[in-house]
Amino acid sequence: MKTAVWLLCLLTLFFFVGAIIMSHEEAFQNMHAVPLFKWMVSQTASVTWWLWISAMLLVLLSANTLFCSVDSIVKKRKAIKWLLLISPQIIHAGFLCMLLAHLFSSVGAFKSFEVAMEGRLFTLPDNSELEVRQINLSIDPYGHLVDWRVDVAYLVNGKMVGQDLLLPNKPIFRNGIGFYVRDLRALPYRMILVELSREPGAPWALVGGILFMVGTLTLLALKMRRETDEA
Amino acid sequence: MYFFGLWKRVFLYAGLVLQSVYILSRGLTLGRLPLVGPHDTLIFLSASVVAFFIPFSAFIKADVFSRGVALVSVAFTASGLVASPNNAPLPAVLKTLWFELHVVLAFLSYGLFGIGAIIGHIYFREKDVSLEGMQYRAILIGYCLFSLSMIFGGIWAYLAWGTYWLWTPKELWTSIVWLFYGLYLHARLVQRWNGPPLALLSMAGFIVVIFTYLGVSLLMKSSHTF
Repeated sequence: MKTAVWLLCLLTLFFFVGAIIMSHEEAFQNMHAVPLFKWMVSQTASVTWWLWISAMLLVLLSANTLFCSVDSIVKKRKAIKWLLLISPQIIHAGFLCMLLAHLFSSVGAFKSFEVAMEGRLFTLPDNSELEVRQINLSIDPYGHLVDWRVDVAYLVNGKMVGQDLLLPNKPIFRNGIGFYVRDLRALPYRMILVELSREPGAPWALVGGILFMVGTLTLLALKMRRETDEA
Repeated sequence: MYFFGLWKRVFLYAGLVLQSVYILSRGLTLGRLPLVGPHDTLIFLSASVVAFFIPFSAFIKADVFSRGVALVSVAFTASGLVASPNNAPLPAVLKTLWFELHVVLAFLSYGLFGIGAIIGHIYFREKDVSLEGMQYRAILIGYCLFSLSMIFGGIWAYLAWGTYWLWTPKELWTSIVWLFYGLYLHARLVQRWNGPPLALLSMAGFIVVIFTYLGVSLLMKSSHTF
């Protein structure tokens, strides 16, 4: 536990230093364009040193979390209130899954962008094509864009094999690639900026989030019930 | 009304009722969750602090607690009233339950972290050991809500922008808050961190929270700016 506390202290400190560096360095503006580790390797150490140290601290914290969780389960395996024992370990498992998610994304994330007008075709990584058929924009009387929808079609060898719809917060997924509308223009032509993105850590992040949520809520409920019983 | 709460705590309750009516009326007028921009969020934060004060006040009777809450609430409400309200319709990307959950839970957790910091301050004045337990409760519940807010924010970001995490100052500061309170919860299990160090952590934590919320949004470039 003491090790975890000191690791958390150091990690907080280096993130704090990193936050200050990040707000002063232009290099961080394009760090989302490539996977994190690739970006880190391409930058000078004066920009990324805190990220390397933080990554090492996270490795140590992961090992410590794993060790402490196993140790706690082994030592208290005969405890009567096993749910109270296991819920912090579920939280830890969720945390480890989230770190794993970041690791996968930092190595294998992919992003590319395409500008498309209505009727424009562009080639996808699997050599099929995506056609932007119609861009519908809802603009209120004050000029605010309040809603939009984009109708698209998939083509293979020039033949349509499927249709889909892009909406706010509703991307489309095809062969592991997500399609997102990142920007829209009404004038001079209706056009969109489409992001093609693959985030290999996303499923792990979701699993981690669910585990963390379940563990947290269980722990909270059990602690509250224990206090009620004691009262 | 909160200002008079410095004198009698009943004014805090009256202020909360008024503020809740104001938040509700703004929500009904705008036809959306009124939690966009500093005006609405500061007022919601102030209401959260007072709302969480109520259950804790059953255990902490000292007047200094209600005065601390009144002072914090006056500061947030006054700052909120200075900022101009955002009456524009929500951009399409913000019209989702994930955004609403993300924001509401974040500000509720900030309210609890505020309560934790005020209890930490009282601990320094009164050296009452029982306050440690109250502070822990406030921060544990706050941490749970904050974690849920981050998870829902990650889901929303993935659906809206294709990634559950962006390396921007706001996200980095948010992770500092999360790590900081994670540190608090773990430090509580180590004997030598108990007492004044924990109380100090809770107070420092709330300063980090406020900087993450206001400082980063107003001073740094981020997807979360007002």
